[in-house]
Parts: sequence; structure tokens; C-alpha cells
Amino acid sequence: MTDYTPTMTFHPQPTPGTPTPWAFPAPERAALDNGLTVLHCHRPGQKLVAVEVLLDAPLAVEPENLDGIANILARALSVGTDTLTAEQFAAELERAGATLEAHADHPGIRASLEVPASRLERGLSLLADALRAPALPEDEIERLVANRLDEIVHEQANPARRAAKALYATLFEEADRLSRPRSGSAETVKNITRAAVQSFYQAHIRPATSTVVVVGDLTGIDLLPLLESTLGQWTGTAQELSTHAPVTADDTGRVVIVDRPGSVQTQLLVGRIGPDRHDPSWAAQILGTYCLGGTLTSRLDRVLREEKGYTYGVRAFAQPLRSTAGGTGRALLAVSGSVDTASTAAALADTWTILRTLAAEGLTDAERDEAVQFLVGVAPLKYETAGSVAVTLADQVEQHLPDDYQADVYRQLAVLETAAATEAVVAAFPTDRLVTVLVGDADVIADQVKELGIGEVTVITS
Amino acid sequence: MANPAPAATQGLAITEHRLANGLRVVLSEDHLTPVTAVCLWYDVGSRHEVKGRTGLAHLFEHLMFQGSANVSNNGHFELVQGAGGSLNGTTSFERTNYFETMPAHQLELALWLEADRMGSLLAALDDASMENQRDVVKNERRQRYDNVPYGTAFEKLTALSYPDGHPYHHTPIGSMADLDAATLEDARAFFRTYYAPNNAVLSIVGDLDPEQTIAWVEKYFGSIPAHDGKQPPREGTLPDTIGREIRELLEEDVPSRALMAAYRLPHDGTREADAADLALTILGSGESSRLYNRLVRRDRTAVAAGFGLLRLAGAPSLGWLDVKTSGEATIEQIETAVDEELARFAAEGPTPEELERAQAQIEREWLDRLTTVAGRADELCRYAVLFGDPKLLNNALPKVLDVTAEEVKAIAAARLRPDNRAVLVYEPTTTDDDQTEEETA
Repeated sequence: MTDYTPTMTFHPQPTPGTPTPWAFPAPERAALDNGLTVLHCHRPGQKLVAVEVLLDAPLAVEPENLDGIANILARALSVGTDTLTAEQFAAELERAGATLEAHADHPGIRASLEVPASRLERGLSLLADALRAPALPEDEIERLVANRLDEIVHEQANPARRAAKALYATLFEEADRLSRPRSGSAETVKNITRAAVQSFYQAHIRPATSTVVVVGDLTGIDLLPLLESTLGQWTGTAQELSTHAPVTADDTGRVVIVDRPGSVQTQLLVGRIGPDRHDPSWAAQILGTYCLGGTLTSRLDRVLREEKGYTYGVRAFAQPLRSTAGGTGRALLAVSGSVDTASTAAALADTWTILRTLAAEGLTDAERDEAVQFLVGVAPLKYETAGSVAVTLADQVEQHLPDDYQADVYRQLAVLETAAATEAVVAAFPTDRLVTVLVGDADVIADQVKELGIGEVTVITS
Repeated sequence: MANPAPAATQGLAITEHRLANGLRVVLSEDHLTPVTAVCLWYDVGSRHEVKGRTGLAHLFEHLMFQGSANVSNNGHFELVQGAGGSLNGTTSFERTNYFETMPAHQLELALWLEADRMGSLLAALDDASMENQRDVVKNERRQRYDNVPYGTAFEKLTALSYPDGHPYHHTPIGSMADLDAATLEDARAFFRTYYAPNNAVLSIVGDLDPEQTIAWVEKYFGSIPAHDGKQPPREGTLPDTIGREIRELLEEDVPSRALMAAYRLPHDGTREADAADLALTILGSGESSRLYNRLVRRDRTAVAAGFGLLRLAGAPSLGWLDVKTSGEATIEQIETAVDEELARFAAEGPTPEELERAQAQIEREWLDRLTTVAGRADELCRYAVLFGDPKLLNNALPKVLDVTAEEVKAIAAARLRPDNRAVLVYEPTTTDDDQTEEETA
């Protein structure tokens, strides 16, 4: 098709050398005298130490009409202590070259500290003060509430955020905290007062139900005494860990269009709930979901992006919501992406065709092999930094999984059969049990979407 | 010392090589993790594009993943991921980069793949790829810029900051009209002009054997012919300051008022750029910065307020101000407060504590960037392509730590002035109402 003739010398595709064995890092466990659980892991060369703290304050325990209070408390942990004002605390963190962020999600509050190893003591001491003696000053709480109200307006304008809000609202029963935005709505956030934040802190934040994960190059650092002298100074009474209610959802096939007039693209979020990490099929589901929509050579992007050009890319994923040791937790399973407005119905039709073909014909062995090689082979890269290891270890604790869980997933993935991956992904995305949320211009897309027959179509404006 | 710095990081061990065809190669060994990063910078970016063909460098970057003489369409992705690697490419004003991070035993594959497309892309490039990737890039533009509030602010402010005809007047994503107008022949000509071993730097970082690695580089890249068709980009030099305020008011469907501005700052690579970085950090980075304390914490007129530095080597850098208002606060209130803070800073300079904090923050960001082999490989290419010497990387942080309070004050006084900025003001056209009831259609 072209008269171009390369002049370079070609060589055959090289064959790989011998792989260096690698295993997901195994943490060590300890407990401080105040009951705080410690996981730590030495990663040579990682001079930025990552510290993750899990606080047992799940969103389900937020008081009625105060949705968002856990998030306000998370942010309020870094606005001053018994000895430092908000401005001083921020200045001290930055002086240590540290960052501290905290947020609230369904399983609990997570605080993440990142600090150069040479200043770990200063970082831990500030973190300990934030947890042990947050000042929760009235004027800063008022400001955090006002900021949050402003942010809600910005999130409403963001198509991806709006799609997630609508999906959760339709999947879960109104009484289930999962149905409502993690950081609350304008109606609930405006009710949050300093006194309410203070009582929420007193009721739920204590060392005995918390865990700290420390990962990084700990050469020359005597970690446990350092933790005792910082986080060990935090006191509180003993308490049982929270329990989580089972997760249920209505996945009757249907479509919710969130009207966003003038949108040049439609944001798609097609989802339901399914197995979480406690289910024996998790590894197979990860593998099958990757083959469906993990990368631009997966089944969805191969058509929607690389053949049709409808999108910059769509992804299929599984995200645990609330997990319990007993296996009553579930993950959100979804396909997400955005397509140009004119291609909305065509992209959905192709998605359903891809899912039906997958169910009818299954994955190929070649697909399975490439996916396993990627998922297992990429692990040393994925876990190169201290932060990525710390987050995974903390997720395991939060989801009531053993410390060697991720290492075991890699062992399972390596030997999974193609049929198991097919079975898991087909079970995860049944075409008649998918809830489709579209954020886009309803006047343009609604009629075409109704003709697809993927479920009853409702148009909402919020 | 009151605030002991991280143990002086020993500089990276860096070696340089040059093939007969002009390809510069930079190696840095590190055996802590069994991974190796390959990074290839081509010295071409959107600044090399011509009128009517904006976005071509980035569209072309997509075409580099559509196969070459020995690699099928998307084969590059399949082979790298199938080997347990990760990969991508990005396009900026000043360069186009391609990178693969591989398990160490798969390094040779990444080199073979990069060489194949450097030497033989046009053997595979066809209309089908061009038409498909044109649509993908248009959807990338819609997703990242056109369908999100304030999404085109970067493009608009850049256009205000650099005059019409200046190579940095347009951003890498390009315009829809120009993306539509690009032809297969444009893409071929772009490849013939800019994709040559003597217009690239290859860096390889991580768990590698230097002798073996250089032998592989020679084997796969050595026979790709050099060529000298490249035109230098149009001149990007401008006067140090704009000399007047440039301003545009936008009435759009956005959630809140916003004040954005771009200040003209020194070129990257200069000591003055580092001083400007420290000034912007003190003024607008993080929750102890002056603008955050003033606007978000005390006045409560903003929900977010910050400054960032867009470092550019071939044109003046930009100091990027972004303030989103809170509640009913007006642009006038925000602007008055910003100007007061900048004027006070220019008059007084930073306190010793502020300078110390800003240096600690920049130090952490630097450690963060160098914590992965891929981050190191990219920085080595940056210093080699933009400043001629990869070893400058080892001196980058000490240079920032050496800047004095007086220099920070001087750059603020000279540059962070109302007559040296382009301003973009957003006023919302509608009030968002999230109380609306559902309706069934």
C-alpha cells in the first residue's frame, strides 16, 4: 500500500531472558501497648516512606441526616491539634516534606502520610497528634463544611462523578448508606456542627480498633520504639471492631439517563454488584474482567476504540464496596468510559454484542495467556513504590483478608484455566442484569437508547 | 540543623553513549527491583507544528502504536503487556516521549519494538489507522477538555499568553478543525522529518547489564539511518515581561466563578526559574501557602486557590494561578486579595520558615519523581533533550536548595505583577440546581 522501503536491518523478535523471582512483600505484624495494630514492611531504596492508618469509622455509623460527617472529620484531623493551629500544623507538615491526606469511604476513614525516611519521626509525631488530640476548631469545621458544599456543586458538573452518584442511587436501597454519596449531600452536610464532629470522633476514633501500615526503606530506623513514642501516646478505650451489613442491590436491567444538555460526549457507567475478594472466584473474575476491558487491546476497546473510534477508552473493573470475613460483602462491577454523543446508542449496542459473544464463545487461550502474563508479570512494577505496597496491605486489613492475600492471588492467577476466567466474567456481566447510567444530552440520546432494548429508560435531571 | 534534609542522595550513576547514526543513549543501573525502564524522547512537540496542522504531533504519537514493519496493528501494546510490562506515550509543547517499563528479563523486547517503529513505521501506516486514531483523538479532546467545566481554560490562557504565530500559542491537543484536516501524507511527512535516531534520546534505567544493553541498542537501532530534514521550531523567545495585562471574560455553564491567570516567567533550566518555582510554592502550593491561608482559610472567598509552574525551555515558563470562588464571592474580591498578597510578597520576600518549607516540599516532589525507574528514565531524557546533558539531573535539587530569599523576592517583584499576566475570568451563565425532582420519560 506504500512504496516506502525501510533500509534498516531487521532482526527476529527477541526471546526473553530468565525472570528474577519476585513475590508480593510479606509484612510483619506487631501491636503497640495502646492496642494499635502495626503492619510494617522494609522496601530497600524507597526513601519516601508511606504510612496508612485505618480508622474504624464506617459510613454506615454516621448519625441520621449527617451524611458526610466522617469525611468532615477526616479532613478536620489536619486542621490543628492541642499545640498547633491549623496554619501551624500545615506548615509543620510541609517543613517535614510530608503530605497527609485523609478521606472517608464505606469501610472506614483512611489517613495517608508520605514522608522522607530521614524525617519519619517528625512525620509520625504530627500524625500521632492529629489522631490523638485534634483540636477540631469551630471556625475550621465551619470552613470545611462550607468548602464541602462548594465542592458538591463542582461534582454535579463533572460527568463521571454524576454518573457514579446516579448508579449508586439506583442500585442500592435508600436505607442503605451505599445508596448515598460518600461525602454527603448539600442537605446533610449543612447540618454538620463542631459538636457533632467531636462526638463522632469520640465514639469511633481510638487506637484499639485502628491499624497503621508503614512501608519504605527503614534502614537504620528502630521502628517499633519510634511508633511507641509517637502513635503509642494515643490513648482510648477498647472496643469491638464494627461489623458490616451484607450488600444487596437491585440489578434489574434498566437505563437511567442523567440529562446534561449540550454535552458533546455521553458518560457511560454500566454496572451491578458481584463477588468481592472473599469469593473463591475473585482471581478468575480479575482475569476475565481484564480480558473484557482492562486495556486498549481488551475486547471492549478493540472494538469501541481501535475499530470504531467512539471513545478515548472504556474500562471494566471490580471495586470492593464493604467486605466482611463471612463473605457477605460485594464489589461494584462496572464498565466505564465516555463516547461522543452521536455514537451513544451504537457504542451501547456494540458493548452488549461483545458481552453476548463472550458468553456464547468464551475467552480464547491466547487471551487468557496474555492477560495472565500481564497481570502477574507487571506486579514488580505495580508495587515498586512504598505507597502502592502500603495501600494494598491496608486494603487487605480493611477488607478482613489475610496479609498474604495478594501474594496468593498471584499464585492463583498463574495457574487459572481459561474456562474459569470465562465463567467468572460472564457471571459478572450478564446482559439482562446490568444497570446503565448515561450522563449526556437526553434530547439527543434518549430515543435511540430506548430502541436498544437494554431495559426501561428513565430520564432524571439531578 | 533545625530541619535535617534527607541524607544527601548520592547522584545517580549515569553513563552516556552515542551511536554512529546520532542516537544518544543514557544508562543508569539500579538492581533493587527486577524492573527496567526504557524511555525514548523525540525532540519534537506541538511547537514544531505549523498553522492549520495543530495537534499533528500528538495524533502522530497515537499512530506510533498502530504497527510497523514487524509489529502488527496494536502489536506494540500486546507484546509489551504480554511480557508483563507497562507502556504509553505523551506529547507536550517541547517533546514526544514513549516509554516501556519491563520486567528486567524482557528489556530486549522493548528495544526491538522501539527500533522497529523508529526505522519502519511507514511500512505499516495506512488510511484505516489514520481515520481511526483521528476519531480516538477527537474523543480524547472531548473527554479531557470540551465536556468538562473549565476544560478549555488551559488552551485559552495559553493562547492569550503567547502571541498569534508564536510556537506555543496553541496546545498539543490541537483544534478539531485541524485534526479533521490532517492527512495521511501529513503524517508521513512528519515521520520523515522528525523521527530519526539523531533527533532522539534513549534512556534505560534499572536492573540491567550495561555492556549487554549497549550491544542490544547497537544491534537494533544501529542500522537506522540518520537524516537531517528537521526544521528548528520557530523562535520562542519573548521579552521578559508582557508589559500589560491581557484579559478575557467567559460566560459559560460552569459551577462557580473562577479567576485564572498565567504570569510570564523565566525559561526552564535557569536559576531564575528555580527562584520562581520557590515563589509560587510559597504563594500557592499546599495548605500552608499564602493564597490558601488568605482566600480559603481566612477570607473564605475561595474553595480552591493555588499556583503552579509550567516549566518550558524553549519559551517563557508560565506561573499558573487558579482560584475557584466560594458561594457568592466576586472576582473583584478575589483579584484584590491576590494582588495584595503578591505585592506584599514582592515587597517583603519570603520568611526563612517559608523558604525552608518550600524547599522541603520541592525536595519531596523530586524524591517522588525519582522513586521509580520510569520516573528516572524520563528525567534523564528531559535533561539530555532540553539541556544537552543528562548528568544535570544530579545537580537539579542542589540548585533549588541553593536559591536565596533575596532571589525569590527579586523574581516575584519583577514577574508576579498585574502587567505581566494573561487573565481568564469565568462567570457562570446558569445557577446549578440539584434539588430538581425525577421525571420519567
